[in-house]
Parts: sequence; C-alpha cells; structure tokens
Amino acid sequence: MTTTTVTRDAASAPKRSGAPRRGPARGTDPTRRQQAVAAWVLALPFVVLFLAFTLGPVLAGLGMSFTDLKRVDIRNPFAVDIVGLDNYTKLIQDPLFRKVTLNTLLYLVLGVPLTMMVALAIAVGLNRITRLKGFFRVGYYLPVVTSIVAISVVWKFLYRENGGLLNSLLDLVGIDGPAWLDSTALALPSLVVMSVWRNFGALMVIFLAGLQTIPQEVNEAAEVDGATGWGRFRHITLPMLRPTLLFGAVITGIGYLQFFEEAVVMTKGGPLDSTRSVTFFTFDQFGYGNYGYAAAASYLLFLAIVALTYLQFRWLGERDSK
Amino acid sequence: MKRNRSIATRALALVAISSLALTACGRDADDSGAEGQGEAVSEGEASGEIEVWAMGTEGEMLGDFSQSFMDENPDADVKVTAVPWDAAHDKIANAIASGETPDVTLVGSTWMGEFGQSGGIDPIPEGLVDGGDFFEGAWGSNDVGGTVYGVPWYVETRVLYYRKDLAEKAGWNEPPQSWDDFKQFTKDLMDKGGAEYGISLPPGGTGSWQTMMPFAWSNGASLTNEDGTEYTLDSPEMAEALEYYKSFFDEGITVAKTMDAGELESGFADGTYASFISGPWHAGLVEEAGLSKDEYGVALLPGPEGSPGTSFVGGGNLAVFADSDNKENAWKYVQWLSDPETQQGFYDEVGDLPAVQSAWDSGKLADDPQLQIFGEQLASTQAPPSVPTWEEVAGVVDSETEKVTRGDLSVEDAIASMQEQASAIGTGL
Repeated sequence: MTTTTVTRDAASAPKRSGAPRRGPARGTDPTRRQQAVAAWVLALPFVVLFLAFTLGPVLAGLGMSFTDLKRVDIRNPFAVDIVGLDNYTKLIQDPLFRKVTLNTLLYLVLGVPLTMMVALAIAVGLNRITRLKGFFRVGYYLPVVTSIVAISVVWKFLYRENGGLLNSLLDLVGIDGPAWLDSTALALPSLVVMSVWRNFGALMVIFLAGLQTIPQEVNEAAEVDGATGWGRFRHITLPMLRPTLLFGAVITGIGYLQFFEEAVVMTKGGPLDSTRSVTFFTFDQFGYGNYGYAAAASYLLFLAIVALTYLQFRWLGERDSK
Repeated sequence: MKRNRSIATRALALVAISSLALTACGRDADDSGAEGQGEAVSEGEASGEIEVWAMGTEGEMLGDFSQSFMDENPDADVKVTAVPWDAAHDKIANAIASGETPDVTLVGSTWMGEFGQSGGIDPIPEGLVDGGDFFEGAWGSNDVGGTVYGVPWYVETRVLYYRKDLAEKAGWNEPPQSWDDFKQFTKDLMDKGGAEYGISLPPGGTGSWQTMMPFAWSNGASLTNEDGTEYTLDSPEMAEALEYYKSFFDEGITVAKTMDAGELESGFADGTYASFISGPWHAGLVEEAGLSKDEYGVALLPGPEGSPGTSFVGGGNLAVFADSDNKENAWKYVQWLSDPETQQGFYDEVGDLPAVQSAWDSGKLADDPQLQIFGEQLASTQAPPSVPTWEEVAGVVDSETEKVTRGDLSVEDAIASMQEQASAIGTGL
C-alpha cells in the first residue's frame, strides 16, 4: 500500500509546476507582462550561451553528419557535398565500427549490473552499521573524485604482467598470472573491473539516500509478520528503491556507453582493438579529419543513449499505470 | 504541448535552412592538378613584424635565437609564440579556418599534406632554397602532389640501438649489415649474449608503422604511386617485409607486448631486450637508464642486401600561411633559418639535427661518431607520403600489422586488407 503512494507522489510532483501558466488574462495584464519581460531578461544570458555553444554546435554537428566534410575543407566548410545518409550506411558497414559497437555493448552489459550490484550491496551494508559510517562513505566515494587518468595509470601498474600487484598476489598462491591488458580476452573485463571500482561510490551515495527514505515501520511490520531478511530486501527494499535504481541505471548506462579515458590511458584501444569503444572510434575519426563521418558516429551513439534510456524507463519506471 | 511543437518546428527549420545554405555551394570540380610555386622573393633586408609559431623546445628557444636575424635586419621584428605539440595541430587548423593566422609556423612533417591541400599554407617561392641541399627524405615530406609547401628545418631518423657488450660476448664486433645477418645477430644476442629477447619490436598500436615501414622501404616498397594519387600497399615487396617482421615474433626473438613508458629503456639496461629501433632522443634515455657509451651502440638499419636500409625520417618543416600579411619577409626569415650556418648554430643551442646536409660537415656534429651514424642514415630515408589521409591509413597499417604479429591473420590477407581500406579512404589529393 504505502509503496504505491510514495512513488506516485514523487512522480506527480514535477508536473505541478506547469499548471499556473494558463492564466485567463495572459498577455494583457501589465504586471504579468513585466514579469515575463523580467523573466526573459534574467534567462537571456543562459539562452544566448545555450544557443551559441550548445544547441548551435549540436545542430551543426547534425548537419555535418550529412556532408562529406573533411579537414582539408576547413577554409571553406560550406563548399562540401551533401551526401545524405551515406555516412551512416558506411558506418554500419565498417567492420571496425561494428567491432567497437560490440565492445561498447560489452562494457554496458558487464559494467552497469556489476556497478549497481556492488553499489547496492555496500549501500545496504552501510545503512545497517552505525559506527564509522562516515569513514566508509568517504572511502568508497574517494575514487569518484580522483582523476580518471591518475587512476588508470595506477591500475595499469596493478595489472602489469611482471611485478604487478595482482600477479604478485596470484604468485603467492602459486598461480602464474596472465598479461591482463595484453590479452584480447581479458583486457576489456579488466577495464570494466577498474571502472566498477571507480564508479560505484557515486551510486552508493545515491542508493544510501534512497534507502534512508524507506520508512522504518514498514520493515518492522514485515519483521513482525515473520518476513526473512532476504524477503524484506526483495519485497520491500527493492520495490521502494525503484525510482532510485532507475536513476542509477540511467546515469551509469550513459557513462558506460561513453567509455573512453580508461581505454585511452591503459590500452590505447588495443590489443587488436579489443578495448576500443564507440567514443574512442569517434575521437579517432575526428583526429583523422573525417568530420562528417565522425559526426555521424556521434549521432548514432546519441541515438543509442536515447534508446537505452527509454528502455530503462520502460523496465524500471512506473508499472502500476496500466 | 503546443509550445513543444513550435520549438521542434523551429529546430527543424534551422536544420533545413542550414542544409539549404550547404546545398547552395558544392565542391569545385577543378580541384585537382598541382599548384605552381610562388613568385620569387626580392633581394634585400627583411622588414616588418614576423609572427612565428613554434612547438616544444624549439618554441622556447627560437625567440632568443632569432636575435641575430633581427641584428642583420634591423627593420624586422620576429615574435615567436611557443605552442605545445599536443595542441599544435588543432591550433594551426583553427587559425587556417578562421583566417587569423601568424606568418610562419613550424609544421610536423606528417601534417604537410593536410595543410597544403587545404590551401592554408602557401607553396614556397621559386628559388628560395635549393632542394638538393636538404636530406632527400626530409625535402620529400614537403612535396604535396608535385608542389612544395615548406622548407625542412630539423630532422630525426630511426637507427638500431644495440647492447655492444652483449654483442661482443656473442661474437659480433661489427653491427649486422643484411637482413640475414640481422636475424642471426638478434638470435645470437639471445643464445650467446644472454638477453631474454634479441630485439624489441612494436607488435602494433599507434605509430608502430614507423618501425615496420623501414623494413618495407628498404625492400623497395612504396606507400603510394609516383604522384601520390593512389595507395600501393599490396606490393610483393611489402608482403616480403611484413613476413620478415612477423618472423621475429614467430621465432620468439621479440615479444608481442605493449610497452609502458620507461619499460623499454629499463629492459634494455637490464638485458631483457638486447636491441631496439628508435630515434636520436633515445640516446639520452638509455644513458639515464644507466648504460654508458661503451655498453651500447647505434648502427645503421640493415637492408635486405646490406646497410644502410631505408629508415623513417620525421621532423619539422617551416611553412608560411596563405593569410599572412607579411609573406615576403616571412620567407626571408625561413630562408635564414635554413642557412647551413644558422642550422649549425641552432644545433649547438637546442640539439635539433639539421635538415641541411652541409651543416653536418663541420663543427660539433662532424666530431661525434654516434651522431655521424644518424647523419649517414639520414641520407637514406623516406618520409611518409604527404597526403591529407596518411594518418588514417597509418592507423590501418598499424592495426593490420598487429593482426599479423599478435593475431593469426596471414600476411597476404593483411596486405590485401590494408590496400582495400586504403583505397576506400583514398589519398585525398
């Protein structure tokens, strides 16, 4: 019972703000008009910057993706040919683009569930303890605020074949560790493990906040009714946490779809392109000066992000609105 | 709802308008054909303000170094801006796009094709310098489809670094000359010299072509046809060279491993890798890692039948922007920088290897036996083709090479795949 009311309230809250706009005397009331002018004046700096530096380039990029713009055209960028969807069809046929798409999907399906599970497990654990809570929270959050490049460099040493920490530990138990980053099979999972370690802290903080909104009474009532710990987690915590989980899934998903820096620093996309992601591919294409082609690749990634987010909303979003 | 729709409509309209603006123009049909060289510069002293962009150490040192030019030409005022190498390419590209350029810039030798073809830099004036004075490979990097767009300033090339002490232990008092020799040499360094690997060769990854292609060039392969309009990667010479390169991996003489920074030097010093192929900067790094000049040596790259093979030449060229408003004097400055005496002076101050051959005949450079090896190698070098798409094709060469050394792609398939991709990309000329 309580479950539904809580989530409904949360969901309907943002809609309310849209209501008062429809006044009867719209546009005629001088006070209202003054307010409107003031609002626009106040919003103007943002609107101008947004149009000039966000929407403009975004639309220019979209336009670019339909042309054969290359870097030798920089002096007269408008003297290019419109090629329609050619860049997109070429991308879909490009074996390297297919490979990086597959890699990116692997990052996504390995990374998102793992990050969320680790974050949730630790959040649930931290929610129970009372002492040293702040210490652990800061500790787990620390990787998030550390520079990704610094982390990648350090992890590169951990993964080293000879003398790396990981292989030295394996050595102690008599296992001859592999060359983690030099193997086409292990390099990508190794990078995923590192990003899980780096990213779960942010989700953990969000999940922890979500957990604290679950009323104590519900849990207590269930306990009185004889529910086991797992049963309470499964039937109370998870459903009540669903909006938080959705948010977590969306931002982690977007993050993994844009996987880039870790691969640049640690493997440079190798060995044999096994860690190259779509963003990395786009970066390379911009570097080669194939601006049209690279823009098309960015838009495909953008569409993938929109599609993923839509699916996540379908799966994890409200289910009771039939 | 209505509001949303009107925003969407406006956005669509904007796209439509911008695509209309784009359709209004199209590519010019007469894009091909070499441009002629520029008109000769006049005699006499230079004057006016000459703005120069230079990268790295050169950028820091050039300002003071140019004082003697200003002493000779009192009316001229040289202003040097140091630009970091990382940002240099984009900065030049942006300057060209906006038309707000300085007068002279240092250009990485692999960028010449792109900037030359875009029209952002001018062809060099008739009779400014004599191309024959420069190392052939370095001069070649300025030649974009038959027009010369810049003047070589400094150069670097790749030679063989090897552990002299291990080689002597293995019975080699002279470096190897031919490919057969070279293979035996690296094997002996392992079997008799005690090294773990005879040589370190990059299995693939960005820039590995700079080590792989010298084998192909030495064997007579060429990356493009004569006028740079088509890639010719699938030659039998290329296949033979790649096969030879691959054999070092197959026979365990080298290892398919991506090196971390510093790993090669420390591995060279502790005897893990008994040799490698690299440029002049590695002498300092190797000595920093603890080796003395008696313990390591440099040698010419072996060719299939004998030394020297054909190595890679890189470095920096000087170019003048098409939008410069002081071109005549800018070229005079470039002319001064490529004078043998100036080149020697710059070597003394900065350590950049001169691109002018006669600068090597006297002074400090002539007395240094190690540097003389570089000088000798420079006479037998090739630059990558100066075409706008080379870096992209280089990426293809790198990744197909990796499939051969690390994966199980056959040399024939790799070469065919390189050619297919390169043809699809085109040279861009």
